[in-house]
Amino acid sequence: MSHLAATQRDFLAALVDDSPGQDARIAIYRRAVLANWHGALAAAYPVVLRLVGAAFFREAAERFARESPSTSGDLNDFGAGFADFLAAYEHAGTLEYLADVARLEWAVHQAHLAADAPACDFDAFARVPAENHDAFRFRFHPAAHLMRSDHAVVALWQANQPGRDGTPDRTAGPEHALVVRGDDGVRVDLLPKPDWEFLDALARGATLGEACALVADDDLGRVLAHLSVPGVLCGFEAPAPA
Amino acid sequence: MDVGIGLRAPHFAELLERRPALGFLEVHSENYFGDGGPQLAALERFRAAWPLSLHGVGLSLGTSGALDARHLARLDALVRRVEPALVSEHLSWSAFGGRHANDLLPLPYTEEALAQACSHIGEVQDRLGRAILVENVSSYLEFPGATIPEWEFLAEAARRTGCGVLLDVNNVWVNATNHGFDAHRYIDAIDPRSVGEIHLAGFEASDGVLIDTHGTAVSDAVWDLYRRALVRFGPRPTLVEWDTGIPALDVLLGEAEKARAIRDASIEARAA
Repeated sequence: MSHLAATQRDFLAALVDDSPGQDARIAIYRRAVLANWHGALAAAYPVVLRLVGAAFFREAAERFARESPSTSGDLNDFGAGFADFLAAYEHAGTLEYLADVARLEWAVHQAHLAADAPACDFDAFARVPAENHDAFRFRFHPAAHLMRSDHAVVALWQANQPGRDGTPDRTAGPEHALVVRGDDGVRVDLLPKPDWEFLDALARGATLGEACALVADDDLGRVLAHLSVPGVLCGFEAPAPA
Repeated sequence: MDVGIGLRAPHFAELLERRPALGFLEVHSENYFGDGGPQLAALERFRAAWPLSLHGVGLSLGTSGALDARHLARLDALVRRVEPALVSEHLSWSAFGGRHANDLLPLPYTEEALAQACSHIGEVQDRLGRAILVENVSSYLEFPGATIPEWEFLAEAARRTGCGVLLDVNNVWVNATNHGFDAHRYIDAIDPRSVGEIHLAGFEASDGVLIDTHGTAVSDAVWDLYRRALVRFGPRPTLVEWDTGIPALDVLLGEAEKARAIRDASIEARAA
């Protein structure tokens, strides 16, 4: 191994070494890198931070950073595994909802950065004879994300947005979430279970007819209305001509 | 492009509303590595009103081994998208063996490290199809075994690769104090023709070490060094950076105004 490579390998190892008696000058760098990683996690997981408090979050963030080293020069990529870490974190044992809140926050974080896409052209869809509609498949916007949790994660997320006092409107799960990026930014919508299952089927590649078959007739009008919400869909695939 | 400020999210709305007279805006490239969304859309609005400088903090030019190909591809895509006036990176390292420290770590100033950094600078310039600027970093330690003074390392990297120098005079002052060298000697070692931009920022002292926090106003010592740099280099695009404890926009604009006054005075002095 070259001198440069050995120097960099040893320096990186020293940065994540929390044993006592380290060089004071290296400690300056250690504090800086931990602060950078902590800052990236705090920016991506503001609701988790608010739910557990600053001291708990700092300890969890530093442990996560040591166990799951950053693999990108872009700190927006750091923290993808934080939910799984929290699910196994012994100090989070009584906060059963915490990992799912983190999963929702990561989806929100990803939604901010996802590619732009055109709106779905429903005029073109409407020009197709109605008897062919059942065979269509839809493309979801890159920022749209569906998530189901056993816990009231949407209520927790909404209650911990800036300006809210943290008291959730509901405490019982399960909840079905739709993360969507609209003109006013990224938001998290709470969906009724049939609506979520309909969208989830479409997102997994079901045809419109297959997804509609999952829904009671009385619900169909409401469920179909989600398709035209800005930010949900970005296109469709017409069936091949018979 | 006389004097600019670092563009940070807390100032987005106020900047677009007030449109202050600034020579350029500089952003951290990685903050715009997303594929789309509101952050990139905002950058394109700023790009339409001011010249833009993309300043990377994560490419790790000094890394032993290969550059991160994905990182370079994302930088390339961003450069093509916003067509910035300036593109810069740091003469430092932050990654090794696929692990990233996400901080600007100093190099051992050796011939081996210089050759490695120059190879990476060349690779980046080839990929982007343009010359980049390379910035000197602050440091809190020196490596045993270093054989080249930091200022020669920087000057030689520019000479070998044709890249420009982004001279951070705050970092020169911080390192001169931390490592006990003469800051003027550093300035005098840099070829004026290579200098494409100057950075100004604030430091803080902690246990006898100056830390480059970008969290305070520019110090009097650094303003003096800036005056000295302008005498040697002539006027250069100058940026005021403030990254932690970001102040009200007017505070930052006040620092930029101070830099502009010093720059204008140096131009008058050269003409006299």
